[in-house]
Amino acid sequence: MKQAIVVEGLRKQFGRREVLHGIDFSVEPGSVFGVIGPNGAGKTTTMRCLLDIIRPSGGHVQVLGEDPRHAGPELRRRIGYLPGELFLEQRITGRRLLDHYAAISGPVKPGRIDELAERLDLDLDRHTRKLSKGNKQKLGLVQAFMHSPELLVLDEPTSGLDPLVQQEFLAMVREVRNNGQTVFLSSHVLSEVQQAADEVAILRDGKIVTVATVDALRETALRHLRLTASGITADDAGALLSRVPGVGALEVLEVGDGVEVSAVLEGGIQPLIQALSMLELKDLVLEEPDLEESVLKLYGMPGNGKRNGAGRKPLEALKGAGDE
Amino acid sequence: MNRKLPLFRRAFLDPWRSTLGWAGGLAAAIALYLPLFPSIGGSSQMQGMINALPPEMTKALNYDQIATGTGYTQATVFGLIGFLLMTIATVSWGAAAVAGDEESGQLELTLAHGVTRIQVALERALAMALRVVLLAVLVHVLILTLNESAQLKINPQNLFGATVMFAGLALLSGTGALFAGALTGRKAYGLAVGAAIGVLGYVFNAVGRQSPDLNWLLNLSPYHWAYGNSPVTNGADWAAAGWLWGISAGLVLLSAVALQRRDVGA
Repeated sequence: MKQAIVVEGLRKQFGRREVLHGIDFSVEPGSVFGVIGPNGAGKTTTMRCLLDIIRPSGGHVQVLGEDPRHAGPELRRRIGYLPGELFLEQRITGRRLLDHYAAISGPVKPGRIDELAERLDLDLDRHTRKLSKGNKQKLGLVQAFMHSPELLVLDEPTSGLDPLVQQEFLAMVREVRNNGQTVFLSSHVLSEVQQAADEVAILRDGKIVTVATVDALRETALRHLRLTASGITADDAGALLSRVPGVGALEVLEVGDGVEVSAVLEGGIQPLIQALSMLELKDLVLEEPDLEESVLKLYGMPGNGKRNGAGRKPLEALKGAGDE
Repeated sequence: MNRKLPLFRRAFLDPWRSTLGWAGGLAAAIALYLPLFPSIGGSSQMQGMINALPPEMTKALNYDQIATGTGYTQATVFGLIGFLLMTIATVSWGAAAVAGDEESGQLELTLAHGVTRIQVALERALAMALRVVLLAVLVHVLILTLNESAQLKINPQNLFGATVMFAGLALLSGTGALFAGALTGRKAYGLAVGAAIGVLGYVFNAVGRQSPDLNWLLNLSPYHWAYGNSPVTNGADWAAAGWLWGISAGLVLLSAVALQRRDVGA
């Protein structure tokens, strides 16, 4: 089957400022593809190009087998879109607004709107401009999902949602993927998309840094570690921990009769746990893997902490961008 | 679900409060001005006062024929307060239709659905035109209703012609605002262009009437095209009506083309 999205050499200039410098990626049908990157990296611009809201300055874009620039409204009926910034200031109820979008979009199954609203715990009979940010976001999600489009393009879909609703959203994404629909979503932090996405593209300053599966990224993941322990000197603690494979950026401070330690850990945690069992721990924080930071460090990108001398997995561990 | 012209229906029906508000304003202005004619415009005392004014001022305000019911209606309702209210309304609608919607981030979402940009521009322009027609009909009906009691002696046919001019003149400002907004995506530019059409048209008319040397200014004034021959008194100049409505239609088409050709929300 054809790819759901193919982007080749996509460039976009606004005036003299180029915001996309030739990006390449493709999205398999029936998969969830996440694009992450800091604000201003070009995520929203890329998405808008897919929907013909803005026009590329160069390169090729194919969405569901068609060129969005020329495919017209029929193509956009097959797409559900959630814009990154959602403004719904009208004096009409959510239900009427959704009816309107249903009228200019693909057909919506009867009851589908209510079903989605119920799942997201959204009151459709309130005026849209009185809704909180999170509730507007829910309305935007219902709008994108309601006509069961072949492709969902969701720009920062979880922003403003509380954790419970985020979980529900992730369940919805899994469901549509099981239906064979394709999801293309963005976030400024990887932790938000890593649960949902099969593949992740990391976009920075208008360039794709890498495209990788989440599993491949996880292998290179860094975790931050902080602990306090008593009854040990800084030298002993340092010696103990530096022997643990994968530990780097080790900093040990002597405090009272104990130590405060901070470090990063790459790879498995079992060796670390064994080493820690010899300590009299007072406090221990082992953070979730920060995949984004690990990827940026891997590529020696500035801006996210200092480079770390410890050896890193080779680039080959990651699937290259634009593999065809 | 797939009813006809969904964008038009939304653009026309949703802002019913605004339409109603402008209708109320126009109705109030007409109900305040016209019943006063027997005691103000028609009295010889008033004519004496008008004669005492500097003639330049009389001309600028179109008060030269204020002593007749038709001249009074022309100068006050069509020429001044009605013109002002309608122009403000259409300029704000025209600027909001594309550029305002774009600046508030909502146009992007509409365009992401199964619509074309040409359809967006045309259906919204149609909604604006229909709102203008609705208000013009109201003005027409109200003046007809007051014709007798206010002793205006207006020929209904001439009134119809004047109303067509009135609506066409306001629509021109509105479509000018629509076009500038569709071209630039900036509501402020839309408002500026729409207001400029109204204000400059009025000023060119006022100045152009002052001396034969400045008569050429009248050719540049949509206000003068519409009202130069005092349509309430003399009936519409239908060629001028054709120009007003025709240029508006042209601006709508240009708006559609302009919107079609550029990035939205960039």
